[in-house]
Amino acid sequence: MNKFEAVILLSPDLTSDLITNEDNSFAKIIEKNNGKIISKEDWGIKNLSYNIQNYKKAFYIFYQIEANGSIFQSIKKNLTQNEKILRHLFVKVEDHQQLPTKMIDNEEK
Amino acid sequence: MKKNKNTNTKSREDRRNSPFEDRKRFCPFSQKTSPFIDYKDVKLLSRYISEKGKMTPSRITNVSSKKQNELARAIKRARFLSLMSYTQKI
Repeated sequence: MNKFEAVILLSPDLTSDLITNEDNSFAKIIEKNNGKIISKEDWGIKNLSYNIQNYKKAFYIFYQIEANGSIFQSIKKNLTQNEKILRHLFVKVEDHQQLPTKMIDNEEK
Repeated sequence: MKKNKNTNTKSREDRRNSPFEDRKRFCPFSQKTSPFIDYKDVKLLSRYISEKGKMTPSRITNVSSKKQNELARAIKRARFLSLMSYTQKI
């Protein structure tokens, strides 16, 4: 088991129901592969610094995951086929950071 | 005479490293209290890019080569997530 961070960008057209739907389905896929979601953080809707698929904004969701690294190959394939998800990033980390992350800290100041 | 000569001459390496006398340069990420390099910390990363959005070389910012590697990786991740832009218009 290794520690990972994941960031997912969702298209801004989605309603809040659809976003929770996507969120739940992502959690389900990971739990199906014996992974564990330790924590989740919503960064909310943010301005993109360049257009992605003609969108100027996107929903950001951040996860801290504990899982085997081999499961991500199939998960990434799934995410790229999903049109609602604009971008996704998985990063392996030594230790999980304490929440809230810098992203939320900066906004409050 | 001899005393003056001694003060004026410095070793070549000393001169190369410091444009001003007695100014010590150090890596901003290798100290004990220095911040952790993270792709989510856009405020920190934006200090190490030029006006055009390019990364500044470590010979200007004095980041050690190990930390410059980490910094470059963090900037590239932030760009991929559209937290930072690849280019900026002036």
